[in-house]
Amino acid sequence: MSLKLKALLKSPWVFHLSTGSCNNCDIEILDCLTPRFDIERFGMLLAGSIKHADVLLITGSCNRQSVVRLKRLYEQIPKPCLVVAIGECALSRGLFIPSYNCPVPLDKIIPVDVYIPGCPPKPEAIIAGVVKLIEKVKAGK
Amino acid sequence: MTREEILNNLKDRFKDDIIDVFDKSPKRVYIEIKPDSIVRFAKYVFRDLGARFNTASGVDTRQHIEILYHFIIEEINLLISLRVKLPKSKLEIDSLAPTIEATNWIEREIHELLGVNFKGHPDLRRLLLPDEWPEGVYPLRCDYQEWDENAIRDRGV
Repeated sequence: MSLKLKALLKSPWVFHLSTGSCNNCDIEILDCLTPRFDIERFGMLLAGSIKHADVLLITGSCNRQSVVRLKRLYEQIPKPCLVVAIGECALSRGLFIPSYNCPVPLDKIIPVDVYIPGCPPKPEAIIAGVVKLIEKVKAGK
Repeated sequence: MTREEILNNLKDRFKDDIIDVFDKSPKRVYIEIKPDSIVRFAKYVFRDLGARFNTASGVDTRQHIEILYHFIIEEINLLISLRVKLPKSKLEIDSLAPTIEATNWIEREIHELLGVNFKGHPDLRRLLLPDEWPEGVYPLRCDYQEWDENAIRDRGV
């Protein structure tokens, strides 16, 4: 494992991006940051700027307007980075599959490391997903 | 004015413009009017009756494109929906935006999603659709066809 990736895993800073979700997944992500679920015990901190972030948390069904912004943000995030898709919309677009405004799923646009299903996923599921991601990267897979 | 006075007043004043009045519930009435008289009618409801413009909604009913302008008279809690039916062959209606500023954006949205031409609108640009969306394709019409060849419509399993 490279030194960069090892340093990243000690305290991954997350950046939260909504590509047109209904905000339920965003609320669950915010729940993770509250003292009740306290995702900070894994060293995770919400970064205010994409340039400080290591992990990109993406919710929403990637509509035509936000895909442009999503690509721009992915170019700006320091590499190596990890991408987490949260919620059914980010995974497969859910019920928006036939929508005129959501042509391509997220993992066909940028590479995704972890999928967390649910509509919306519980904070426990999000924490479990992120911990699995950290273990996966530690094992060097 | 009470609810009955307002409705009778409207029926008297605009008896040539009203096609149908559907009294749905104590809080709600639908008034179908001719497309040509929308500006006069809406101006009267907005300026003289003191109603608030809530929103407008457009729907493709296959035979017509229907636009509903929702006005609320808050003192008596009455929602007046002005219904206008436009034939598919001639999708044109006078814009309310010069009279009622709040209709500006919703008319832009109906214009891009349903293809209704609002005559006299000050700024009929796109509101929601991206720039690469082709001209003359209206996504909320019933006969909308997929135009994007790169779109993926299966779940990949």
